[in-house]
Parts: sequence; structure tokens; C-alpha cells
Amino acid sequence: MKTITLTPKKFSSIALEFDELIPDKVYDWNKEDFEKYEVPIGNSRFPLTDYFDIEIEGSAEGPEEVKMILDGDMGRVKYIGCKMSAGDILVNGDADLQVGAEMTGGSIKVNGNAESYAGREMKGGSLEIMGNVREYCGTSYIGEWRGMSDGIIKVHGNAGKQLADCMSGGEIYVDGGCDILAGIHMTKGYIEIGGDVTRWPAGQMKNGTVVIKGKLGRLLEGFEVEGIYKNPEIHGKQLTGKYIKYKGDIGVNGKGSLWLNAEKNRDLL
Amino acid sequence: MEYILKNGIVYDPTNKVNGDKKDVMIKDGKIVDEVSSDAKVIDVTDKLVMAAGVDVHSHIAGPKLCVGRLYRPEDERRGVKPKTATTRAETGFSIPSCPTTGYRYSRMGYGTVTEAAVPPLEAKHTHEEIMAIPNIDISPLTLFGNNWFVLQYVKEGNLDDLAAFVSSWLKITKGYGIKCVNPCGSEAWGWGMNVHGIDDPAPYWDVTGRQVMRALVQVNEMLGLPHSMHVHTNDLGHPGNYETTLKTMDCVKDIKKNPSVSRDQIMHCTHLQFHAYGGTSWRDANSGAEPIADYINKHDHITCDVGQVTLDETTTMTADAPMEYDLYKLSGLKWANKDIELETASGLIPCIYSGKAPVSTLQWAIGLELFLLIKDPWKVVLTTDSPNAGPFLRYPRIISWLMSSDRRTEMMENKEVHKWATKRTSLGTLDRVYDWNDIATVTRSAPAKILGFKERGHLGVGANADVAVYDLEPEKFDPTKAANAPVVEDVLSRALYTIKDGQIVVKDGKIAKVVPSRHLWSNVQGFEKQEKKVLNDIMPMFNKYYTIKFENYKVHDHYIEPSIEYKVNASK
Amino acid sequence: MAYEEPVTDYDKIVENCTCAFCGSNCDDLDYLVKDNRVVAVRHACRLGASKIMEDEDQRLIVPMIRDETGELVETDWDTALDKAAELIANAVRPLFYGWSETSIECMKKGLKLTEYVGAVIDNQATICHGPTVQAVQNVGYPLMTLGEVKNRADMVVYSGSNPMNAHPRHLSRYTMFPRGWFRPRGRYDRTLVTWDPKFSDTAKMSDIWVPFEENGDYEFVNAIRAVLKGKELKKDVIAGIPKEDIIELTEAMKNVEFGALFFGLGLTHTLSKQRNIDIAIQLVQDLNAYTKWVLLPMRGHFNVNGFNIFLSYEMGFPYGVDFCRGYPRYMIGETTTIDLLNRREPDVFMVIAADPGAHFPGGALAHLTNIPVIQIDIHWGPSTELADVVLPGTFIGVETAGTSYRMDSVPIHMKKAIDPPETCREDEWIVNELYERVKKIKEASK
Repeated sequence: MKTITLTPKKFSSIALEFDELIPDKVYDWNKEDFEKYEVPIGNSRFPLTDYFDIEIEGSAEGPEEVKMILDGDMGRVKYIGCKMSAGDILVNGDADLQVGAEMTGGSIKVNGNAESYAGREMKGGSLEIMGNVREYCGTSYIGEWRGMSDGIIKVHGNAGKQLADCMSGGEIYVDGGCDILAGIHMTKGYIEIGGDVTRWPAGQMKNGTVVIKGKLGRLLEGFEVEGIYKNPEIHGKQLTGKYIKYKGDIGVNGKGSLWLNAEKNRDLL
Repeated sequence: MEYILKNGIVYDPTNKVNGDKKDVMIKDGKIVDEVSSDAKVIDVTDKLVMAAGVDVHSHIAGPKLCVGRLYRPEDERRGVKPKTATTRAETGFSIPSCPTTGYRYSRMGYGTVTEAAVPPLEAKHTHEEIMAIPNIDISPLTLFGNNWFVLQYVKEGNLDDLAAFVSSWLKITKGYGIKCVNPCGSEAWGWGMNVHGIDDPAPYWDVTGRQVMRALVQVNEMLGLPHSMHVHTNDLGHPGNYETTLKTMDCVKDIKKNPSVSRDQIMHCTHLQFHAYGGTSWRDANSGAEPIADYINKHDHITCDVGQVTLDETTTMTADAPMEYDLYKLSGLKWANKDIELETASGLIPCIYSGKAPVSTLQWAIGLELFLLIKDPWKVVLTTDSPNAGPFLRYPRIISWLMSSDRRTEMMENKEVHKWATKRTSLGTLDRVYDWNDIATVTRSAPAKILGFKERGHLGVGANADVAVYDLEPEKFDPTKAANAPVVEDVLSRALYTIKDGQIVVKDGKIAKVVPSRHLWSNVQGFEKQEKKVLNDIMPMFNKYYTIKFENYKVHDHYIEPSIEYKVNASK
Repeated sequence: MAYEEPVTDYDKIVENCTCAFCGSNCDDLDYLVKDNRVVAVRHACRLGASKIMEDEDQRLIVPMIRDETGELVETDWDTALDKAAELIANAVRPLFYGWSETSIECMKKGLKLTEYVGAVIDNQATICHGPTVQAVQNVGYPLMTLGEVKNRADMVVYSGSNPMNAHPRHLSRYTMFPRGWFRPRGRYDRTLVTWDPKFSDTAKMSDIWVPFEENGDYEFVNAIRAVLKGKELKKDVIAGIPKEDIIELTEAMKNVEFGALFFGLGLTHTLSKQRNIDIAIQLVQDLNAYTKWVLLPMRGHFNVNGFNIFLSYEMGFPYGVDFCRGYPRYMIGETTTIDLLNRREPDVFMVIAADPGAHFPGGALAHLTNIPVIQIDIHWGPSTELADVVLPGTFIGVETAGTSYRMDSVPIHMKKAIDPPETCREDEWIVNELYERVKKIKEASK
């Protein structure tokens, strides 16, 4: 097991890019390698040591034996854990854009908030965010109709707009509320939102499942009631309480299901 | 600068050089038979040497390409490479950016590429893009098959004025030749409709595809253009369309070729694979390659290129806009469309050809059948109708399939392709293989001849010094072995040398030099009076129904720098 | 408005000039020129004519540099260019913004500079039709040239756009009034529909006005699509529109011969942004199963579309492209101007042919006051107040020729009618000069 701890010592308002500092690439780096390394910032590269104190303990044969601790505010560090396939990353603070984007395995935990594009095009592994996420969490790349395909994203706070655009697999759990158009263009996968949702979940959804345990602001006409179910089992999970099940979005001949907590959404009964 | 390429194994079908060990000499951008002692010697002992490739049909520059790039960032992302000391950054897989297009063709050893569809109203856009593509000369074909003036002249049977119109519009658009796409069908698409077969008239105009194609072939021969009329026939992509294709080829056979031209054909049928389907629907679809190949084998007025499916995720784009909407209804993927006033239409959609899918496999096998069933390689050109059936960067892979029947069998046996390949086509029974001479024919000599280029596609004295050398020793290498297919693909993807007009633009598979591409266009002489009359006649209609002033319509000279003007003497 | 005598005192007429104002790019203007000044413009709308003629009073004439006291002082070209080049050469996160009111030829030089230094290049699409481009990337782009509408359309819909005020000749030149080949009676052969919460001047002259509620765009179009698929609407009123009206409108749209939907920032900038366009595009795609429908965004500046086209063919992506790592990267929200400024990342900002000072949100402007700003423009404007180096350019389509792309992507060569002021330099020359000087500095420091 190898533990790599980076403790921030200087703030740069121009974001640092961490796509080269994932367990897959650094598992066999020693302290000197890190000290030699220059991190991309804007159009240049600067010594990583200008920005972080670096500590390394233990050794690793492969990325799965790596634990990276980013011990502080990473609010200006982009692409943390981007494309990683194994190992663990712990962020003890906020994470900037693209945390966990395109990851295929391993785990990332953010003990703060995450900026937009957290878990973009995730293909495996787990991403846990203790705070809120901004827009486009678990989304696809712009123009790409195949989005997040596997893995799990857990958001303990709230999620911003357009959560999981074009989702085509995997699971997303949001404990808090969620802004407009969660699961837009979704084709497969599972989204569970614990809190309230502003408007229009699952617009243009073709398939997949969205569960809303809180109150929904506005529903689209593209959804038709299929029935009301008590303690339904959805996606292999047992929910408690009464749920209204909708099918949609009709506009795209969608066969997706949208489940709304019946008690919280009595106006729709 | 003088060069001497020493001791290569040369394949130059135009000059009947078939794998001879010889030197190729270059001076002032031309192939010569003697150089001075100052000539720089490049030792290519035993390496494969050919003229630089010539592409008869590709989509690389212009408005619909740009719609593709603009709306498919996910495709652009697939080909991203950082800049180097000589090259700019690259982007794109099926629809690469302009600089990338030039680099990739150049690295494959190509020197001349035909941009197959230019709408006159946006011809400036095509030429702007050509200016951004380096290292290959580009011959744009101007679209005429659904042009309202053309339809009008055809309806009136006024071929003289039509000839003057075409000659004038080639000057205005700086086009090299006549392209005709789904004649009358793209006009019908103006109302969301299509035509079916060559005798179904366009709504309102009451003119048929047969009439338009015959008229354009006749006009092409009246003008004596270097290339023949270049047609994408009606009913593309529809099961059972091989009959339309046969009718199309047959409907012009009585038309006399202009005696002054160097080509043999009077009509070039492009991406024939898309037009060679039997059956009545995709359920019972099968190959229609045999009757088509048989027709071509028995007639000399037709040439074709294949439009070989490469089994990739790509982007389809064509002026056959109604067909693209049909595809959208099938796949549901994002559909783009671009109709051009008074002229044409076009459509685009991403397309995933997969060896696991029966239809993709059928298309793949039909393409190869055409290559193998058409006996004379001078009549069939290697294309993918890039990017429609696959991106042009897959040409080396197609060559590896053509050279090895073992490889093809392997693909069918180990299920790289669906069983429809053997069940619905004759591919499994065809063991013909192409040799290097055949390959040089279908990628160099034949396309150059079909396009009417006398100075390209060969290594005879006086030809342009466009040469490709590959890192392979044909005398020691067996391309028929299935295991060697990846080697063929690899080696042909990165030329040892690509020489363009006597300058080394690629060395060891890397871009060594970036030179501007030239715009190749046909300037018909001797029709000036008729052109003036026709312009006068059509100006009221032009002013009323176009949304742009005639003065601002034409391609100004500064959009075609540098260019090569092909003066055509129509009176000959 | 008082009667104005026609201008009769002029030396020459330059015909078929192209208007350098909105995305309609009217190319039928005649400039009346006297003493190397345009004294009158024929055929243009008031917006176009006033831009072309009343250009002189606010004109930037000589290069300027802001001195230690914070005042802009006049200087010579060498000094100003060297100063700008030095700022760019030393920047870590330079951002080059604007380009929509200059020529493709100038953009070429701009991209060369961008690639060389590893900057971000972006245009006004980032604050206007960017959401449209995103939607197009998501679901497709069924469009046409404007002549298709003129010759064929029997229904024209404007949504979230008010062409009577913003694109004044759009209806008369392209869509409603002209007599087309298949619409010989012009206006009488067409139905004009406006979807807009606002009773705009365009709505006032429409046959049908659909005033859906603000931010109701997505829900409204979603309901039309549901009706098209045969669904019976559940709610009586959807997004402020009675369901009967939605059904009637859907039927009408299905039953035309050729329909065209034009949309503006009213659709791109409400609550669900690009998703409004996304679903509108899908509606047009659905309608093509019944009849012919096309759509087009109402682009603002005369070359805003041109920049998107240019950058796509040169580098594969339409706007907001970041070259800092040596390859192009396009990620909305990360490589786009407002986001970068809000995050306070850029350390040098070059603006050309645009006025962020007048258009950017406060947070973005706040950062611009903290970093060096280089301005290339022809007019004094709010951005000049932010600028540290001011480089006066020339007027494309009047003083300098160049290429532009109309909103429907028709390329036009805009010609030159008069000579620019002697002390000004062409945009293309300025940007190229910056490239040469930056290169010199960079190579010297290697």
C-alpha cells in the first residue's frame, strides 16, 4: 500500500490540471519523481512543489495499491482522478471541475463540494461527494449521446441542473434536492433523488429509471401515469411508501419510468 | 531541387511498370529521365514505390463537412493530437479538421483528392476550407443535378444553353467537373419528398432523373470536360436499388464521348456499394453486386468507385438529403440537414457500422464483391465515399482485405463479421486477390485517368513529381497471408516518403513539410458568347429568387490561391 | 420622424455592398460616397445605415496606452504593439475574445496567435447562441438557406426573437414579404406565427401569437411533441397556453407545405437554456415525418456564425476553445469566456471587434478591471474604458474587404468602398503584427 499525501501550500487562481496525477500513472513514482514533476497551469507548467507539500509512505505494485490524499482545498484543481481505473483518492476539501470524469474504476471521495462535470462519462468505480455538486454531474460529453455507463455517484448535498444528461448506465444517488432536467435524454441507468426537484425531470428520456422521494415542482406532459404502487421494488431496491409511476417521455416514444413519492406529490394524485 | 529515388520496386500501371527495380528521377517538381550530378540521392532500395495516390471521391471541404464538425464534437475529440514543430494540432476521426485532413492524406501517400460535392451558392466556403487543407491538390465537383436552371433547361430540352450554363457555373464556382446527386430527389426533398427510380419526376418541375442525367452527360461531352459526369444515382441505400443502378448506367450508353478527352468512360458512378442492394426490405436484403459488376464488365462507358464500408462509427453526409432523413428514422441519432436554395439539399447523421450487425456486414461484403467481381481494375476505384462508408484513413485496411482472401475468410470464420456476409452475398466464394499492380491501379492510375489528369497518378516523364514510397519490400513480403494484413495496413498508413511536386512532405510517416494545396478547376474556352447570353437570360430569375446578389455569388480569385486552371477547349 | 431630402451630392455609388451589422448580411446595399466618406446608404435598414454612416464621432483613430495615472494616452503603433505583445508573451492564461465583427481573414491570424501562445479563443456565441450550438450538438441541425424559406415557406414561426427590431429586413428580404417561386403572392401566401411571452413588434404583425409564460418554453414544446405523438393533454393550461390552442397549433404546423422556425436569444437564455433549443430541434425533426420543416437561429453579429464555422473547419470545435495544453479542448463551462472570467483565471484579455464592457455580467467585468486588457476595435465603447492598450482597426465591409458568413452560413465577400483613416490599421494586419512580435519575444527568451 502506498499513501501519497499532497498538502496545498499556495493558491493559484489559474486552475492546476491533475489528469497526469492519477494512481494509474503515479503508483511507481517516488518522492523525487513528484519533486521533478511540473504540473500544467494555463499554457505553462510549474513545479508541483511550488503548490504542495508532498509526502509518500509505502510502496505499490499497481494503481490499486495507491491511496492519494489531497489534503485541503482543491477548488482550483481540475481533473482529479480523471480516467483513473483503480486506487483511492480522498479530497479533504472542495474539488474543481471534472473530478472523476471518465473514471473506469477505483474510488474518489470529496469531503466538500464539487464543481460541474463531476463524474462525467463515468464508466466504473465510485465517486462520493459529501457536499453539493454543480451542473452536469454524471453527464455525457457535449454532443455524445452515450453518457455515464457504469459506476456509482453519491451526492450527499444537492445537485445542479441537468444531472446525468444522456445517462446510459450506472447509478446516481442524490440525498438533497435537484434542479431542472435531471436525467434528460437518459437511455438506461438509475437516478434516485432524496429531496425536492424543481422542474421537468427526465425530459426526452428514452429509458431508465428516475425516483424522486421529495416534492416535484412541475411535471412534463410527455409523461403518462401507469399506476400507484405501495412499497415498490425498483431496480432491485425496495422503496418504502406509496409511489406514482409514470412512463415517458412520449415525445421520443420513451419507455422510461419516473417514480414520484405519492405523499409528497398529492396534487398529482 | 533534384532527387533520385534509387533502386525502388516501382509499380506504375499507366506506364506498364510492374514491380521493376528502377530509379525515379525528379527535377523542378516533375518526373524526368535524367538529373544532374547535384541530384540528392534517396536510397529506397527494394522499397515499394508508386505515384502518389489520387482519390476520385471524398468529402473533405465545404458546408456540410462544417456542419458535421460543428455538431459532432464527440467525433472531433476522437482524433485530438497536440501540435508539433511542423504540424498544427489534429482533431477528428470521421470528420477531421482541415489541417488534419491534409496531414492524414499526405501520410498515406496521397497527393490529389476530389471533393465530391460543392453547392454553388456556398462554393466560397469549400474553397476557404481547401485553403486550410495542406499538402494535397483538390479538385472540387460542382453540384448540378437538382439545380433549378438545369431542371428548366432539361424540361425545355435546351442542351446548348445548358452547356453554356454549366461552363459558366464551373467558372463561377471554380469547379473541376459536373456532379449529380439523386437527380430530382433532392429537389423533391424541398417538400420533404423523394423520387423513386430514374423515371419518377420531381414535383412541379415534371423532369425525371433519367432526363437530367442524360442531359448532363451530353453537356459534359459537348464541353469536353476532363472528367466525365459524376453521378450518385437515385435510390441510394434502398434494398432493391440495384435495378435503378442498372437502368442508370444503361440510360446513357448511346451518348458519344467527346473525341478529345483522355478518359474512356462517359459516366462515373460513385460509391456503387450503396447502390447495389437486392431484396425488397432490410429483412430480405441481399447483394446486387453481381448484375452490376457484370454490366460494368460488358460495357466500357461506365467507371465506378466503391464506397467501401470499413465497419467504423462514422458520419454520413450527402446531398441525398431525403435518404439521410430515412436513416434518421431508422437510427434516431442526431440528424442534420442543409437545403440550399435553387440548387441542392444535404443531410448528415452519425452512423455506426458494426461487424456484428447484419446490414453493416452486408454492405461491407457487397463493397468487396464489387472490387472482386469487376474484372478490370481500371474501371473501379478504391474509395469509402469518406466519411460516409468510413473515414479515408482506413484505405490501408481496405487494401489489406483486397490483398488477402485468407484475411477475408478469417473475418467471416471467426465472426468478426455477421453471417450475412456468407449467406446473402457471394463473398465467401471469391478468392481473387489484388496484387501491388492492381492496388496501384485502383488508387493511382485509374482514378487519375477517370478524372482526366494526364500529369497525375503515374511516374512517366513529365508527370508531376508526386511519389509515395512505403516501408515494405514487395519482393520479400507476402500480402496474401492473413497474418500480414495488419502489416499492410500499418505500412501504408505511414509512408516512408511522400513527395509532392518534388518536395518531401512526409518522411518516416511524419509530416516533414507543409505546402498549400492547389485548387484544380476547369475553364472551358470557346463558349463565351453563349455564356453571356445565358447569363442575360437567367439574370431576372436569379435576382428574384436567390437571396444574394450575383456580384457576391461568385468565387473571387483570391479564394483559390494557389490554383491550377485546366483550360478546356470545347470546340475540339 | 422628419422628412429627409434625398442625398444628391456624392461622387460615386458603390453597389452591392454587404451590411456589417446583423446576421442578415444584406448584400444589396449601395453606398453613396463623397470625399472618401459614405454620405448615404440605399436599401439598408436604419440600424445598418446608421452603423455605416454615423461611424465617425466615436471612432478610435490612434493607438493608446493607459499610463501610470490611469489615463489613456495616444502613442505610436510600434509602442502600442510592443506593449500588447509583451503582455501576451508573458501571460499564462491569455484569453482572446470577440471576432464576430471582423473578417475570416483576420480570424485566421488570430487563431495562429492563439495556437502559438496556447491561449483560449472564444467569440460572442459564448454569450448569445452558444446554447443553440450545444443543442445542435446534442440532437441535430435541420437547417436551410434563407432562399428556401423565401421560395417555399407557407408558415414562418419566430420564437424568442423580434426581427422587426433586431433584424429589420429579415421578414421583407427573406421570409414573409418577398414573392417566392412557389409563393407568388408573398405575404398573402404565408402564415406568420410568433411564440413569445412579449407582445413584440413582430407579434403585433403576426397571424398567430402564442404568448407562453416566461420560462415555459421547454414545457410548451414538450406538449406539442406529445400531441404530435397522439397524446391527449392532461392539464387544461400548459405553460400558460390553453390546451385547445396547443392542439390547434400542432395541427396547423402538421398541415403546411413548408414550415420554418426561427429563434433568438429569448429561447436560448431562459431557464432551461440549450434544452429549449434541443426540444425545438426535435420538434422540427418530428414534423418532417408529416411535412417539410426547417429551422435557423437568428444570429446577431454579421460574422458570429462565421467564427463558429471558421473555428470548426480549422480546429474541429466551434467556440470556447482552449489551446493551453497544445491541443484544442472544448468544454462548455470550463473553456468558455464568462466562466473563465468568473473564476478569475485569465491574466491577459484581448478583445477584438466586440464590446464585453457593454455586455458581460458584473462578475466577469470585475475581473477584467484587475487584468491587462488589449482592445482592437473601431469604436470607443465601454470596453475602451477597461482597456490598457487600444489598437484602432478598420471597418470591415466599408473600409476593408473580407469574408463573412450569413446566419444561414452563406459565405459573402464583403467589399471595400472607401479608404480607412490613415492612422488606423486593418484588423488582420494588427493581429498578425502581434503574432510576429510575440514570436520575437518568445524566441529571444528561449
